[in-house]
Amino acid sequence: MKSLEKFAPSHPQKTRILPRTKRWGWWLLLGIATVFSFVQIAGDGRRLINSGGWTLFWRFWRAALRPDLTSEFLEITLQAVGVTLSYAAFGTFLALAVGFAGGIVLSERWWEGVENHYRGRGRQKGFEFRMARTLLRVLLAVPRGIHELIWGLILLNILGLDPLTAVLAIAIPFGAITAKVFAELLDETVPAAFLTLINSGTRPGSALFYTLVPQTITDLLAYGFYRFECAVRSAAVLGIIGAGGLGYQILLSLQSLRYNQLWTLFFALCLLSGAIDLWSGLVRQQMRDGKAEKSSSGGGVGKKGSRLGISLWAAAALIPWSFYFLQPQLSLLWSPRTSMLIGQIGRESFPPRLPDGGVMVLFDLAGQTLAMSVMAALLAAAIGIFFSVPAARLSITLSGYPQALSQPVFVVSRIILLFMRAIPAPIWALVLLFILFPGILPGAIALALYNGGVLGRLMAEVNENQDLRPLLALQTHGASWGQVVFYGIFPAGWLRYLAYALYRWEIAIRATVIVGLVGAGGLGRLLTQQVSAFDYRRLPFTLLFYIGLTLIVDLMSGWVRRMMR
Amino acid sequence: MTGLMVVLTMILAACSGPQEQESEASFVIGAIPDQDPEILQRRYETLSAYLEGELGVPVEYRPVTDYAASVSAFRVGDLDMVWFGGLTGVQARLQVEGAEALVQRDIDEQFTSVFIANVDSSLTPFSDIQDLRQLAGRTFTFGSESSTSGRLMPQSFLSQAGVSLTDFAGEPGFSGAHDTTIALVEAGTYEAGALNANVWQSRVESGDVDLNRVVLLWTTPPYHDYHWVIRPEVTERYGDDFPQRVIDAFVQLNPSIENEKEILDMFGAEKFMATSNDNYVQIEAVGREIGQIVDN
Repeated sequence: MKSLEKFAPSHPQKTRILPRTKRWGWWLLLGIATVFSFVQIAGDGRRLINSGGWTLFWRFWRAALRPDLTSEFLEITLQAVGVTLSYAAFGTFLALAVGFAGGIVLSERWWEGVENHYRGRGRQKGFEFRMARTLLRVLLAVPRGIHELIWGLILLNILGLDPLTAVLAIAIPFGAITAKVFAELLDETVPAAFLTLINSGTRPGSALFYTLVPQTITDLLAYGFYRFECAVRSAAVLGIIGAGGLGYQILLSLQSLRYNQLWTLFFALCLLSGAIDLWSGLVRQQMRDGKAEKSSSGGGVGKKGSRLGISLWAAAALIPWSFYFLQPQLSLLWSPRTSMLIGQIGRESFPPRLPDGGVMVLFDLAGQTLAMSVMAALLAAAIGIFFSVPAARLSITLSGYPQALSQPVFVVSRIILLFMRAIPAPIWALVLLFILFPGILPGAIALALYNGGVLGRLMAEVNENQDLRPLLALQTHGASWGQVVFYGIFPAGWLRYLAYALYRWEIAIRATVIVGLVGAGGLGRLLTQQVSAFDYRRLPFTLLFYIGLTLIVDLMSGWVRRMMR
Repeated sequence: MTGLMVVLTMILAACSGPQEQESEASFVIGAIPDQDPEILQRRYETLSAYLEGELGVPVEYRPVTDYAASVSAFRVGDLDMVWFGGLTGVQARLQVEGAEALVQRDIDEQFTSVFIANVDSSLTPFSDIQDLRQLAGRTFTFGSESSTSGRLMPQSFLSQAGVSLTDFAGEPGFSGAHDTTIALVEAGTYEAGALNANVWQSRVESGDVDLNRVVLLWTTPPYHDYHWVIRPEVTERYGDDFPQRVIDAFVQLNPSIENEKEILDMFGAEKFMATSNDNYVQIEAVGREIGQIVDN
């Protein structure tokens, strides 16, 4: 037993198996969701597979072998990489700042501290505090419920064509997501030290900064890498609002279907996001090793020469560089023109109006959006789980698994996942539309491919971090590698898979905005219609429905997390 | 920590930056071309250099690819002059009081759209607008939502023939671009679609369309489309005759001079000519009818 202990991670993930009743609840919910989305897909009675478009389908893929490598286009690509990188760096920096502050005020621990502190002085504030926290949660669903692109278009009406618009379009929703994640990190950290300080009368702010913040900050920074990779991909969508960069070039080449140029840009995006992914993996690996080391000998993380340290220095150089490169005019935030434009938009959107056909239309469209996003999330989860083992560097050597294959399989799986998430969802939708008939299905698959690329990566990491002891136990009892995967790895990881899948579901909901070309956009179609008609009065209700859907997902993921704790 | 300090210093430095440049305010332009946008958007220096020479003021080109985004940028005053489509030009003028339609191409006076179909749909060419009724019960795709030739006018002609959006099989698609419309009809994903006739013509000439898979059904009657729209304050900045100077600069473009020919080619024009707000009354009416223009 003693020899096994050294394999145990310092933060062993609980491998709690759900009580039977709760498991039934989940299967039932999953069943209902699946049936619902299938009914929506089959409901219009249209054919699904289009056999006429294979030529066009292959034309797209064949172009991958002949990307446009003329020096003129490579120069454009390189320039675009620089622009994308600087938007992503600056946006991520702001998102982390917002997320740090937001995460603290959103965490249960903080409110617990505030409550204890003041109740200790004889004030009863329990109810108000709970209300305030709930209100904050709802408010934070607003930035998350609205797609970056829509943020971009709204901000464009307020800040104009300044780089600041695109930077904020990334920073606002990403800041809110980071706040949520950081709050979860704070709440999942052992609170003993924090509560000791609180109970001895320290003010909640100081207590937090001396205990929980130092305990979680490295995890937040590590998460920052993941956000950075997301921001790179987002900056690729924001090209539309004149932000330039890879997304802008992708859009331009897409409009005239220059596939050879598109592939050059995809490869650039893959290289960029692959490099960030690789480096963040190395950083996290060192942090894990450091933590394990620390638990036995003390020290480890944060010492000189650590990869996180190098990254911080790199960030310290990259952020001012991107600021210099983009030259966003921060003074716009308090300029009189901005407040005038805000007033103008405010007046034009008031009083809000329901779309023609009333509120039922909104429910109907929300149903379509829900169906597409549920289908997308289910498929993405399936893709993610499929790749989660081959794309992971497991610390256990699966006996009986052909070892010669494991390295090539790992590399190929990672590359496939990278391409799945580097190619923007609207492009997936177009390519799928060559071989599928319009409707919810091509939209759902497009979103599933994109999100599956992200989920596969995240789930592989869950598997890499798993407690080894149960797996080794299975193996020593003679389980085959398949049995270890199905009876050891999957059951232990499934709650985390679910948490990630729910998180991507939320993203799929708002991303339905950008796959309108499939002819079944639901709320997304209505939203793009209203944006293109500058119909500011009808816009608020549509956005409200998006936010409502986001809140539903939020409630469900809160439920899952409580089960994990 | 040092990094943070550097950032703060730079932020402070940048805040005081912009005010200094106001003496030489640039004339800022943008464009959303109907065809091969990547060519103009990646080589706009030729255009801005030409205008700078002709107008004697600094000209800055700001690339935007989205219709709604360019209208918004024009509305807030970050773009002084934009190459808009028919509908977006009207939307922009409605949001900026005093804005003027200035110049159009020769072809914009007689602009048309085409309806195309996949051969498997067994739809055949026709010459009477009423025959658009054949499209009821079929799957159909427009181009971009804000496109005049890919959405607004086709929808208007459909409605004149008594076909509304709910008459198609399923929702109509919005492919986002004319070339995508051709591709999706060629694939048979949508049985029929409508797009800009110029784009269709040039794709047929270059052999990019498989005419064994796609047939041209009908060409619409002519309407006004693309044009440059200018904001009113430019007269305060550059003098009362500035709009006229802009018109002249475009009208004088000479195809026998290399640079100027390149500009004409980027826009797919033989020559430019003056236009006025009155030319887009029909577009505005149609825009209101189909809900692309609303009164806020």
